[in-house]
Amino acid sequence: MNYEAQLKLQSFLDGELPENDAREVAAWIARDKQAAGLLAELRHTREAVTGYEEGIRLPESREFYWSKIQREIDRARPATAPAAPAFSLWAYLRRLAVPATALALIAIAGLVANRGVHGGGAVGVTEISVSDTEALTYRDFSADTTLVWLSYPADNEVAQNTPSDTLP
Amino acid sequence: MADKDYSSTDDQALVGAARQGDTRAFEELVARHRDKIYARAFSMLRNEQEAIDLSQEAWVKGWQRLNQFQGESSFGTWMTRIVINLCLDELRRQKRQRTDSMEAIEEESGGVERQMPILEVNPTAGLERTELRQRIDRAMSQLSHEHRTVLVLHEFEEMEYKQIAKTMECSIGTVMSRLFYARRKLAALLTDLKKESSKQ
Repeated sequence: MNYEAQLKLQSFLDGELPENDAREVAAWIARDKQAAGLLAELRHTREAVTGYEEGIRLPESREFYWSKIQREIDRARPATAPAAPAFSLWAYLRRLAVPATALALIAIAGLVANRGVHGGGAVGVTEISVSDTEALTYRDFSADTTLVWLSYPADNEVAQNTPSDTLP
Repeated sequence: MADKDYSSTDDQALVGAARQGDTRAFEELVARHRDKIYARAFSMLRNEQEAIDLSQEAWVKGWQRLNQFQGESSFGTWMTRIVINLCLDELRRQKRQRTDSMEAIEEESGGVERQMPILEVNPTAGLERTELRQRIDRAMSQLSHEHRTVLVLHEFEEMEYKQIAKTMECSIGTVMSRLFYARRKLAALLTDLKKESSKQ
């Protein structure tokens, strides 16, 4: 049996021959004992290796095997740009705290001054200085009017010497 | 927050989640297919550590190329193709490093398989699965990587001659010749191993 015939036999086993050729080879195998013997040997070998890989198991635990993969995945990931800070209610309230406190103190001072001169006909004048805020309160009992004069913050020294982020 | 349980999620949904950056979903895919991917690498390379390293590399590549997975084949098949390509690259690299390749000499001298007597008795008949696997293990290790690769692609990956030729960048004639040699050599090795074990 020549080499070409041997390879043809193998192609027959693997289903790689066109229908006509396959019929011819089948007829040849039926009458040639040697061809039938070689075909049987090739078939035995093919059957022997079938399912061989199914018995192979990875010799590492799931966690250990995965840890290296994860490390490589993390390393390959592009560095993410720092995200813009999310809106924080606390930070917003803190920014409002200074002017709100100042205004509250002014209001309290106004009330205190109001009580101190209550009943008299004179004009009461009170001056309070809180941090960088200045306020003057005038009370005219005859006119039943209270006037609060705020010099916050543009008229004071601090405001003039530092860049201002306050409202005009 | 507790990790999501993916054990009952199908592969397709896991791939979808992994594409969104969910590494837990990808870990589940690795857990499901790791034995198969490792087994393919081991069949081709015959070296445990190399097979572990290369299979892990295949998983990293799989993660990076998830968007290329179209779902035309199963995820396991897609991953298997990645590991096969990595193994072929590795075997080519190893071959370039060998200056005096025994395989080349063996292949060039050729024709041994043509003169081998036909083995009339099935050398693996009556063997238990574990013993059969051990013998095939030893016999496979004695094949050259070219012959072994053709055998693996044909018998395990169920590729046709044409596909193997394309994958290995050789002619269909070479594929047929290598496969024939690999089968006959394997048969002879299995017979020798049977004789050895019956002597003991």
